[in-house]
Amino acid sequence: MQKNSPFLLLSAALILLLFSFLLNVSLGSVSISPSEILSGLFTGEWTKASREQIILNYRLPKALVAILAGIGLSISGLQMQTFFRNPLAGPFVLGISSGAGLGVAILMLAGSVFGLAAFGGAISPWAIAIAGTLGASLVLLTVSLAAWKVKDSMTLLIVGLMFGSAVSAIISVLSYFSGAEALKLFTIWSMGSLGGLVWDQVLVLGLVICIGIIPVIASVKSYNGMLLGESYAKSMGINPDRLRWLMILSTGLLAGSVTAFCGPIAFIGIAVPHLARMVWKTSDHRILFPASALIGASLLLLCDAVGQLPGSAQTLPINAVTSLVGAPIVISLVLRKNFSKEF
Amino acid sequence: MRKASIIGRNLSLGYTKGKVQKEILHGLDFELLSGEMTCLLGPNGVGKSTLVKAILGQLKPFEGEVLLNGKVTSAYSNEMLAKELSVVLIEPFLPGNMTVGQLVAMGRIPHTGWTGKLEDRDREVIQNALSATKIEYLRDERLSEISDGQRQKALIARALAQDGKVMVLDEPTAHLDLVNRYEIMHLLREISKNQGKAILVVTHDLEIALETADRFWLLNCGTPLISGLPEDLVISGQINQLLPGKKFHFSVEKGRIESKTEELKFDISGPKILVRWISKALEKSGVKELSGAVEVSEGPFSLSYKGIIYKSVEGLLEDLTSS
Repeated sequence: MQKNSPFLLLSAALILLLFSFLLNVSLGSVSISPSEILSGLFTGEWTKASREQIILNYRLPKALVAILAGIGLSISGLQMQTFFRNPLAGPFVLGISSGAGLGVAILMLAGSVFGLAAFGGAISPWAIAIAGTLGASLVLLTVSLAAWKVKDSMTLLIVGLMFGSAVSAIISVLSYFSGAEALKLFTIWSMGSLGGLVWDQVLVLGLVICIGIIPVIASVKSYNGMLLGESYAKSMGINPDRLRWLMILSTGLLAGSVTAFCGPIAFIGIAVPHLARMVWKTSDHRILFPASALIGASLLLLCDAVGQLPGSAQTLPINAVTSLVGAPIVISLVLRKNFSKEF
Repeated sequence: MRKASIIGRNLSLGYTKGKVQKEILHGLDFELLSGEMTCLLGPNGVGKSTLVKAILGQLKPFEGEVLLNGKVTSAYSNEMLAKELSVVLIEPFLPGNMTVGQLVAMGRIPHTGWTGKLEDRDREVIQNALSATKIEYLRDERLSEISDGQRQKALIARALAQDGKVMVLDEPTAHLDLVNRYEIMHLLREISKNQGKAILVVTHDLEIALETADRFWLLNCGTPLISGLPEDLVISGQINQLLPGKKFHFSVEKGRIESKTEELKFDISGPKILVRWISKALEKSGVKELSGAVEVSEGPFSLSYKGIIYKSVEGLLEDLTSS
C-alpha cells in the first residue's frame, strides 16, 4: 500500500467527474461537442444562439443539480451507514423522502381530493420545493423528538423506518382518492427529475448543500470513532449524542433539499458509500467523504446522460435510470468481492 | 509505585426503569492499583459489566463515587476521561476494511485535533503500542484477514495507544484458544509491570487468572466485593465464593475447579500419574466401584483388569459400562 494512493485515486475521481460533466452537458436531443461547450463557456462566443440557450439555461443547471444531488445523497448515505453501523442504511432511513413525498402529495393530490384545485395543474417548482421541504422537516422533526427520547441508535433506525411506512400509507390513501391528472403529476414527481430547475433554485440548492456539509466536516473524527461502535466511541471521548444531532441536521439539509427539488432519487445514497469503500479500500472518513461525494456526483451525471437517450428527444426518469444502471454495477461488485467484510 | 488509580467508595449501582430503581450492586469499596493486573471474577449476571460501566464513567452511581486520580469521574469531560482510561470491549463487529495500523491509530483520537491528523508523537506512541503487543508484523493486515487472537492483540494495542493510566478489558480471552488465552493474559501482566498501568480484566478463566493476576476482585450476589492476593483467597477458601452451588468446589491441591463428589476409591496400582487419570476417567463415566483390582503399567501403556489386557482406558470403560 503506497501512502499517497488514496489521493491519487481521489484525483482520478475528480477527472472522472469532469469527464462526466462534459459528457452530460454535451449529450441530449442536440449533441454539442465538448470543445464547443468549453470555448462557449470561457469566451462567451457560441456558434448558435440556440445552443447558448440550451447550454446555459437548461443543461448547465441540470448538470450542476446532478452534481449537488449526487454529493448530498452520497454523503448523507455514508453518515447514516456509519452512524447506524448498518450497510443497508441510506439517506432516507429517517423518513426524509417519505416526508417530502407527503408534502408534495398534499400539495398535488389533496387539492383534487378536497376540490381545492386552485393550481389548475400547473404547480410551480418553488411550490413543490417548499412543500417537499415542509414535509421532510415535519417528519424529521417528529423522528428527532423520538431520537431525543430514545438513546439507542438501533431504536432510532426502526422508528425512522416506521415513520416512513406510516407516511407512505397516508400518501397511498391520498393517491387512492385523487383524480387521474393529479395522480400522474405526483407519480412523475416521485420518479425524480434533475431538470426543470431555474438558476435561482440551483443556487438555493447549492447553498443548502454547502451548509449541510459543514457538520460533516466538523465531525469527521467522530465518524471514524463510531466505526468501532458507540461504546468504544464514548471511551475515546466522542459524544454519540452530539453526533446524532449533527447527523440528523446534516442529512436533513442534504437529503431533504435534494428530495424537495428533485424528488426522491433512490439508490445513490446507499450504493455510493459502498463503491467508495471498495475502490479506496479504507474506512477512514477523511478519505471516504470526499470519495463518496466525487463518485456520487459522477454517477448521477452519467446516469442522467444515459437517461437522455442520446439522439432522441425523450428522457427517462432519473430514479429509474439510477436503479437500472447502477444496480447491476453494484450487484456485480458485491458478488465479486466479499461485501460484508469490506463494510 | 503502587498508587491507587481508581478508588470506589460505597458504590451502589443499578439501572433506572421508568421510576423504579433496580439496584444491582450495593456498597462496593475497591482500589485499582497502578502497576498491577487485577482480575474481576464472578458468575454471569452478577453485575461485572455494570461495575465496568461505572468505572468507565458511562453509568452514574445511585450512591457513592468513583475516583480517578483522586477526582470524581463525573467531573471529567468525555475527552479528559478518554486520555486517562482506555477499554477493550466485547465487540464482535469491526470494520474489515481497516488495517491493524489504522485500528491502533484510532487510540490517538482523544489526543489529536479535529481532523485526527497524526503528529510525530502520535506515531511514536502507535509504534510503541504495536511493539508492546508484538504485532508490528501485522500493521498492514486487514482486520478481516487476521485470527481472533491477533485481533484481540490489535484491540489491546489500540487501548495502549490511547495512553491512559488505566486499562479496562471486558473478557479479552473469550472465544480464544488455550495458547492465545495464556499469551494475552501474560501480555497484559507484562504491560502492567513495564508501563506501570493499572489493568482491570474481567474474566472467567480462573486458572489462567490465578497464574497471572496480581490481585483478584471476587464479585458475588449479595456480598461485598472481596479483594485480595489470589493465593490468599485460595488459602482462606474465599475463592469458593465463585462456586456457590453444591456441585463444584475449588481444589486447593490441584489448583482448579472440580466436581464435588465423594472421594471414590478405586483399587488401581501402578505409576501415580497414570492412576490419577484413570480414576478421573472412571469417575466421569459414572463407574461407582470396581469388582476387581486394576493394574497399570507404562511403556508401553497397558491395563489389566480381571485378567484382560487393555491398550487404552476407553477399552476398559466400554467393557465396564456395557455389562
